[in-house]
Amino acid sequence: MSQQSRISGGLIDRSQTHSFTFDGRRYEGHAGDTLASALVANNVRLVGRSFKYHRPRGIFTAGSEEPNALVELRSGARREPNTRATAAELFEGLEAASQNWCGSLRHDLLAVNDLFSPFLSAGFYYKTFMWPKAFWERLYEPIIRAAAGLGRLSGLPDPDSYDHGYLHCDILVIGAGPAGLAAAMQAGRSGARVIVADEDFRMGGRLNAETREVDGMAGAAWADSAVAELAAMDNVRLFPRTTVFGVYDHGIYGALERRTDHLRDGEDGPRQVLWQIQAKRAILAAGAIERPIAFPGNDRPGVMLAASVRTYVNRYAAAPGKRIAVFTNNDDGWRTAIDLSAKGIGIAAIVDTRDTEPLTDIPGAAIVMGGRVTATRGRHGLRSITLAGGRTIETDCLAISGGWNPNVHLTCHHRGRPEWRDDIAAFVPGPELPAGMTVTGAANGTLTLGAALADGHNRTSSTLMGLGFRSGGAQPPRGDDEAASVSAFWHVSPGKGRAWLDLQNDVTVKDLKLAHQEGFRSVEHMKRYTTLGMATDQGKTANVPALAIMAECTGRTIAETGTTIFRPPYTPVPIAAFAGRSRGAHMRPVRLTPSHAWAEEQGAAFVETGLWLRAQWYPRDGETHWRQSVDREVVQTRNSVGICDVATLGKIDIQGRDAAQFLNRVYANGFAKLAVGRARYGLMLREDGIVMDDGTAAHLSENHYLMTTTTANALAVFRHLEFCRQCLWPNLDVHLISVTDQWAQYAVAGPNARKLLSKLVDQDFDISNEAFPFMACGEITVCGGTRARLFRISFSGELAYEIAVPARYGDAMIRALMAAGEEFDAVPYGLEALNVMRIEKGHVTGAELEGRTTARDVGMGRMVSADKDCIGKTLSQRPVLVAEDRPVLMGFIPVDRSQTLDAGAHFLSSGVAAVTENDEGWMSSVCHSPILGHAIGLGFIKRGRERVGETVRAADPLRGKETLVEIVSPHFLDPEGERLRG
Amino acid sequence: MADITLTAREPFDGIRLETQGVTLSGVTGKALVSAAIPNGGEARFAKSLQAAYGVSLPAPGATTLSRDGATLLIGLQRDQIFLMFDRTDDWPERSVSGKLGDATCVTDQSDGWVMARIAGPRCRKALERICRLDLHPEVFAEGAVARTLMEHLNVIIWRDGAESCQLLSPRSSASSFLHALETSILNIRQSGTFQLLT
Amino acid sequence: MIINHPLLGPRDAAEFTYLGDACLIERPDPEAENAIEVFHDYVYLRDNPAGEHRELWFHEHGDRSWLVVTRNTLTHEISKVELARDVALSRGRGI
Repeated sequence: MSQQSRISGGLIDRSQTHSFTFDGRRYEGHAGDTLASALVANNVRLVGRSFKYHRPRGIFTAGSEEPNALVELRSGARREPNTRATAAELFEGLEAASQNWCGSLRHDLLAVNDLFSPFLSAGFYYKTFMWPKAFWERLYEPIIRAAAGLGRLSGLPDPDSYDHGYLHCDILVIGAGPAGLAAAMQAGRSGARVIVADEDFRMGGRLNAETREVDGMAGAAWADSAVAELAAMDNVRLFPRTTVFGVYDHGIYGALERRTDHLRDGEDGPRQVLWQIQAKRAILAAGAIERPIAFPGNDRPGVMLAASVRTYVNRYAAAPGKRIAVFTNNDDGWRTAIDLSAKGIGIAAIVDTRDTEPLTDIPGAAIVMGGRVTATRGRHGLRSITLAGGRTIETDCLAISGGWNPNVHLTCHHRGRPEWRDDIAAFVPGPELPAGMTVTGAANGTLTLGAALADGHNRTSSTLMGLGFRSGGAQPPRGDDEAASVSAFWHVSPGKGRAWLDLQNDVTVKDLKLAHQEGFRSVEHMKRYTTLGMATDQGKTANVPALAIMAECTGRTIAETGTTIFRPPYTPVPIAAFAGRSRGAHMRPVRLTPSHAWAEEQGAAFVETGLWLRAQWYPRDGETHWRQSVDREVVQTRNSVGICDVATLGKIDIQGRDAAQFLNRVYANGFAKLAVGRARYGLMLREDGIVMDDGTAAHLSENHYLMTTTTANALAVFRHLEFCRQCLWPNLDVHLISVTDQWAQYAVAGPNARKLLSKLVDQDFDISNEAFPFMACGEITVCGGTRARLFRISFSGELAYEIAVPARYGDAMIRALMAAGEEFDAVPYGLEALNVMRIEKGHVTGAELEGRTTARDVGMGRMVSADKDCIGKTLSQRPVLVAEDRPVLMGFIPVDRSQTLDAGAHFLSSGVAAVTENDEGWMSSVCHSPILGHAIGLGFIKRGRERVGETVRAADPLRGKETLVEIVSPHFLDPEGERLRG
Repeated sequence: MADITLTAREPFDGIRLETQGVTLSGVTGKALVSAAIPNGGEARFAKSLQAAYGVSLPAPGATTLSRDGATLLIGLQRDQIFLMFDRTDDWPERSVSGKLGDATCVTDQSDGWVMARIAGPRCRKALERICRLDLHPEVFAEGAVARTLMEHLNVIIWRDGAESCQLLSPRSSASSFLHALETSILNIRQSGTFQLLT
Repeated sequence: MIINHPLLGPRDAAEFTYLGDACLIERPDPEAENAIEVFHDYVYLRDNPAGEHRELWFHEHGDRSWLVVTRNTLTHEISKVELARDVALSRGRGI
């Protein structure tokens, strides 16, 4: 029979039937159901096995606080473990499966764990699996992982998309129950920008689950009309299915919107959106969560929280039992009995821990005042309860109410501590709230309806005034205040049975007492030792009863015992939502040079350098190994001409009356006398005396320079220069702006470089060696009037130029250069060939300027000008940085020329052990030199300049290699620089 | 070599995307020039600006259209503005320095950026996915400009109409920027199935 | 975090890059007799207060200004934001 426990009424849409499966069996429910309510309607009571003991468990609550009913939702790549059935909206075709069993849910083989429960008490793992140590990884951990734990991940890439977003408002209303809706209406009417977020798919909170009236209307109908009124306001945005999970600094709130979780697969748009909400004020109306009473056997399917039973009956028209008993310490438990009775559900008994007069009479129900439930029976579901004194009552559902806990979670995210209130036997928000937050309604301990409505309204009015809005004269919505008296009662003395506190982590009253006996007295220690309050529900129903028992053990009050610290997130947030759209290729932006499309056409291999994609080499037909391409590019460049895209270098335009002075202070070498039309190599130090970066500065015109930086340091150098300009020398007239992306720039290198360029440079410009010598620079035009800049600088050691054109001409320029170079067999060369040529020349890059080396270490000690101050000069003279035995830059070649070298190898003298104490330096860069025909390397070695010709060992323990190398000059090729001046 | 001429290529040339109340279009052909204000030369700069463009210096966060309507002056830093106008040659900074003389230091920025316009009643909803700034018209009114961060990228955004914004982002990351904008626009498509259940 | 920029108003901290203690503005005199010692202290020695801290932030994805932000390291409350250039000028950081 389908939906055999469905009753009349409710807020479900019976015109829409959804079929779904649970553990492979097909069921039906309706739009407006959760998975849990549909299971209740179909009389499915056993929904999972517990974490540790594999005890049968059923649905315990009707909200996001659920500890028990964790299921796997959907299938295949979309399978999602540990989803709360009570918060999962039903849709057509939903697939759900119970978890944490071996064999089957009804006959779980691991239920044997339960027999060993005397041995699996608090701290069991810590005590048992200590020895022998080696067994932990090989034996204990795999077994524990197989036996414990909850659902399974799909192990497949997540096919859904996720997004982020940023919202701003005057007032953020968190929670759309009675107080939240009253607050939202008042805020909305004032014209303030309002955001209302509620975790439920239907706003209204308890009004949807109860039979109360507001303004003379049924509560749910009033909530509907309030939501409709809010939806019609332009200044209000409603976010149902949205959990505000964290409070961050300066009024920023994190919220997760579940946009398509309630839809079938394949719907377009992101599944979830992680919102960052910046709110001037927040009204927290997060309501309250009912708490249980612990008693022996209280974990049986069919034992539920009383208000949740009421919710299933009133909102979802699903009866969790046919004959229901209530166990309560407060008046609200009675309201459940009254509501259920009105729906025609049999009430077996009302057991009230208080020794007072019954609140009312329920026909057919046994009323037991001052009663205790001491045991339960029923293997896969509740059949009966036993009361103190031995009376047994047949019942298939026990509704328990231990009182209400205001939902203080978000009030504590800035380390505010909640305060205990004896009159409601609960913690309420303390005085130290996050700045801008106001708490209202049940979340603030105002538990009755009429008071909560008025409180939401009034607190919002004062908040609006604080922001300068007129709050209007509207009256608060009216509702009656229900009887809400409570008398604290936490647990029935367990005797020999087990009374469960944390259902998700299988923690009992006894575990807590044991932890106390063993010396865990602070709540934080208790939490970690027993695991109470951990995992997906973070002890939303378990924490306060546990604190009460801690207090009992230690003889302190609950207020003195205090709570553990509440931290974000309020409910679990998928990692995928935090990642948002930053996945795969879109993990971070990509920067492309102006020649990228052309390079792709050439079949270039690309490499990521920072955000840039740069051509690494350009393979030609028949080349089967990258070395063939790179060797060819090097040889052809050195023999004729090669072209390389160098647009990635940082370029900073520097202008102003004091620009020369500024350069003179940020570079270690002198720049005060650089003539217009000339460029100079520049070495930049950090203030600690270590090299920061190197590059060139070109003097373009009076008070106008162009600085280049390395690709990797472009941003850091710009930041550093702005620091110098604004913080150190604010009176200098100097102005900086990045032009990195403005210019396409190509190195044209090789003996035929000038001939090639002459074909493109317009005739007005003389680029002969006399007119445009080494280190010249200037503004020119190319190809009949296109603007360009030419720099005679060389990284390859060849006769070389760098030519820059506005980036929009970059694609045309590389094509023009290649066309003009055809007669010289010009080749494009990539990053690898560039690297080979600079190693051959002994030029340093990031491998040498790696944040530990000084100008002196890299052989440029004399460049640090003695005549002026510069950043880093003083500390570069520290004794430790000028010590005689600091490793210095040298060249290295393998003694056996057929051997390769490894960057990262460390140098050792012959006959000593490969230990740190004997370390003499390291290899920083290596390559095969096609010009020399063998491997070459750059590296740092102690007293290297005195040791030319000596043989040392290059040991590479990581790769298990050791190579004999000879120390040589770092300038392998053309040490006098005749080529580049030619 | 007279037979080779260089043809410009713009990443956002011809870009157009239109869906459910949002239109994205590439903007090309604009000159963009930065003008820095020399230390101590603030008054002189303001005076030159008034004489040449007929307007006063825009504060950081504000834009001003020149009196002849041909140049948009964009206030970005205390000592720096951008000027935007139709590009006629490869030396746009000369036309600015021609007008302002040595009251300023100018730099051509035209090729450093790509530019797009996003318009339509739902353009703010699309930008909400990547822009941390509050773009509500009371906060970010017509004419307002800001330099900010979207999807790790530097972006200059200004509101050029009641329901439209122009966006500048560095040229080298144009493809990532376009992807960010397209994704934002597609992610707010209403599937029809998402609605408030009441 | 939100930093209330003196010229631009409140901006998300994501637009900024953090450097550290604002005492970095006070670069010592390289001509001093014990220059190496004072530079050593300037570069390496920092107070690490639990409470109010003046620190340098760079508006990298904004107007490229360096700011001196007075922030309480315990509460993250920001009580003052100044342009570092103005601070440097007022501290007599000259040419």
